[in-house]
Amino acid sequence: MDRATSTFIVLLSTCVSLSAQWLSYPTVGIPRLPDGKPNLSAPAPKTRDGKPDFSGTWVFDESKKDQYHGQNIDKVVKGGLPYKPGVGEMMRARGSKENEVSNPLSHCLPKSMLLLDSSPLASGDSSGVYKLVQTPGLLIMLFEYNITWRQIHTDGRPFPTDPEPAWYGYSTGKWEGNTLVAETTGFKDGVWLDVNGNGISDAAKITERFRRPDFGHMQIDFTVDDPKSYTKPWTVTISEILIPDTDVMEAVCLENERDSKHFVCDDPAAPGCSAQTPAGAK
Amino acid sequence: MKVAAVFALGLIATVVPAIAHHSFAAEYDIKKQVTLTGTVTKVEWLNPHMRIYVDVKDTSGAVNNWECELGSPNGLMRMGWTRHTLKPGDTVVVEGAAAKDGSNLANVKTVKLPDGRRLFAGSASETGDSKAGEK
Repeated sequence: MDRATSTFIVLLSTCVSLSAQWLSYPTVGIPRLPDGKPNLSAPAPKTRDGKPDFSGTWVFDESKKDQYHGQNIDKVVKGGLPYKPGVGEMMRARGSKENEVSNPLSHCLPKSMLLLDSSPLASGDSSGVYKLVQTPGLLIMLFEYNITWRQIHTDGRPFPTDPEPAWYGYSTGKWEGNTLVAETTGFKDGVWLDVNGNGISDAAKITERFRRPDFGHMQIDFTVDDPKSYTKPWTVTISEILIPDTDVMEAVCLENERDSKHFVCDDPAAPGCSAQTPAGAK
Repeated sequence: MKVAAVFALGLIATVVPAIAHHSFAAEYDIKKQVTLTGTVTKVEWLNPHMRIYVDVKDTSGAVNNWECELGSPNGLMRMGWTRHTLKPGDTVVVEGAAAKDGSNLANVKTVKLPDGRRLFAGSASETGDSKAGEK
């Protein structure tokens, strides 16, 4: 476990008087070690009908190497992203630091499904903590960033026809053994997935395969199949760690956004640079 | 609360991946390192970044008010900060990287508190590049 997470867990387990705040409030009914700490190696819980239960408060597991951790997807996927002709150039141009004004996240617009699951505990713009609540026909994910939610319907419903384009699309899930396979379609065109300009079109289908090997760990294989942007599907893997005894807290990005007016171009000739201030202008 | 807060703050000094909602390199110059000593005039415990405003005397004796950007409140809270950790009137030493546009703005790496403790600010300053993996 990385030091940020272990620091936080020590904070939780050593402070009794903080229990007046929900930031550190004991979770009822979880397996614990003799010293009272949560037993992250205990078996994964199951629902009444024998399915894995993914419920819990989770955060990105920074200790796991060789996984996606919020960086440029093109540098993670083996061989690079399989862009269709012209798409890579477009995504790189809009995602360069010379064109930061075009990054939706810099204006506090929704964070992608991928980044919501891969933001560290103490990240620069909120903590990456989220709560997953599993009920018989529906999984709900509650994210701190911008008080965002997602739903994954497991009641057998089909995808909507001609859906209203959405930042997070429309998600349905089914079980393959102990793996929950969630598929999402109905995206708005041009949604970014990382902060480097790589994203999807409205033709994309994203598949997330959720596994919970033990009580304290979850793995998500995130596959993007977007025939308008990429010549073939590609997958990145994200690992999550459970952080019991805490709660999700609001984080409203736009309440004091002051950075975008300070973005600067180092190279005046770069695409999009006219929207940013040349270096040293003030 | 006070005992636990001290305990937790003492454990600070973690390095976290610098993924923020925007590019560090579009706004700050990692090569323009600044050390600002002065008095806090204002604390904004708000998203997306905690900000403190610090009156800093320059070599000529003139006082400039610097806007200093730290990490997010939620991230800082999970590292042991609270909204009461700093307040107007506190004397601090701020280390970080200055803004590219020449304004009195810095992205903070560490803050030395009045009691001498030096805290990590939970911001993107760690690696200086929140477009991680670009290079």
